[in-house]
Amino acid sequence: MIPLLKRLGLNKYNVDPKPHIEVNTDICITCKDKPCTVSCPAGTYEALPDGRIMVHYERCLECGGALVICPYGAIKFRFPEGGVSYNYG
Amino acid sequence: MSSFDADVIIVGGGLAGLSAGITAVKEGLNVILLERGEYSGAKNVSGGRMYIHALQKLIPDALEKAPLERPITKETFEIYCGENKKLVFSFEEKGKKNSYSVLRAKFDRWLAGEAENLGLLISYSTLVLNAYRENGGITLETNRGTLRAPLVIDASGVTSIVFRSLGLRKFTPDKWMLGVKEIVKTDINLKEDEGEAKIVVNLIKGVNGGGFVYTNKDTLSVGMAVTFDSLPKSEVPAQDLVEVFRERLGIQGEVLEYSAHAIPYYGFKNLPPIYDKNVIAVGDAAGFLIDDGFTIRGMDLAIASGMIAGLAAKKIVDLKDFTRTDIYYQMLKESFVLKHLELAYSRFSLLNKPETLNTYPEVLCNVLSDIFTVTEERKTLIDYALFRLKEKGISLTQAIKDMVSAAK
Repeated sequence: MIPLLKRLGLNKYNVDPKPHIEVNTDICITCKDKPCTVSCPAGTYEALPDGRIMVHYERCLECGGALVICPYGAIKFRFPEGGVSYNYG
Repeated sequence: MSSFDADVIIVGGGLAGLSAGITAVKEGLNVILLERGEYSGAKNVSGGRMYIHALQKLIPDALEKAPLERPITKETFEIYCGENKKLVFSFEEKGKKNSYSVLRAKFDRWLAGEAENLGLLISYSTLVLNAYRENGGITLETNRGTLRAPLVIDASGVTSIVFRSLGLRKFTPDKWMLGVKEIVKTDINLKEDEGEAKIVVNLIKGVNGGGFVYTNKDTLSVGMAVTFDSLPKSEVPAQDLVEVFRERLGIQGEVLEYSAHAIPYYGFKNLPPIYDKNVIAVGDAAGFLIDDGFTIRGMDLAIASGMIAGLAAKKIVDLKDFTRTDIYYQMLKESFVLKHLELAYSRFSLLNKPETLNTYPEVLCNVLSDIFTVTEERKTLIDYALFRLKEKGISLTQAIKDMVSAAK
């Protein structure tokens, strides 16, 4: 299997200096299942040992899924300026 | 009224937005199209198969000049059932030119060029951040300043920024699919005028949805589309879905791109609001996707709804009554767009029941296994079928009912 980061590295990114995803990690502490960690195709949400979520927003493939994957409304998402550009699509 | 920047602003330069723009410009309207990508197609991902009837209406000589990949001349369904069984069937029709594989970064960029040649003003790298009503029109806040129009066409894809900002969208993970896809460079052992569309079901356990392999000119589009609410139950996390899928299919070659996109999966009876005062939604932003088990289509619906929006915009502008966006809806109802969505609904909802894509294939494969096994014991086909249905807790009445809705 090609590792995720290598696959993401195939894409052209122009990372927005301002993070376009914010997570209210106070909510994450109370969330057991953390569906975001298995629902994002870019592995943007990483669970930390203290129960909070670390956001790797620069990996984002801009699928839009962030708007539906958190049942507790902890994810605030907008599309980035710049971001990913596909060559094939 | 002079405070408006255009008659119509279109948000999103994909298929729906460009089709709306081309049509509105031909109708003589003053139009601005905003595209957040550096070029049209930069942010767009499709499974990669377009039924071209709508495109041919938009651009009559499209077949000669559009960057299409291959005509699809072979339909294959590969259904995995149980531990070590699979059912495969193919239908081939050589010379068919009804649908083509496409790669959107190329295709949309070409269509945007056509639109610009026709006089459509496209502002690239322009990201709409918010939309609100003000003085009888819509104000759009973008990364490049504020723009205003009495009529806005939301062609921004499933996340529909305009309708969402106006409070007209409520998203849930069961009504959206995650599409993940890889472009794989490999030898395509087909003639130039042949292409295959393969649908794969049940290869990954736990997900609600399926996978696809489409042949392009010299690459494959390999991907999966599954509902977001099924991802936590998947045996494979979203980030590895397409890789595991590709490996299990045994597809080798150089992976050139990894992409992802959300897909509307509402069905006719659950469509979101598609028009409101001053606003019209087209394509994915309107939730237009058809999956009837045989055909999976969004791109022709995007082009056609965009064209209808462009025509409706002209009528609305002429009336100078921007509350009359119901004109768009009436025209849609008379078009194939809403008619086909309605036609597909019976099988669409059947496909959404877990037994359809999981249990029934297993029953079918078990019956086939029985029939192909010879021992001293032998039963009639119907007895095998009844036994295998009962084993899965499905009554004959239920099976017949489902068969009837599948035939609709």
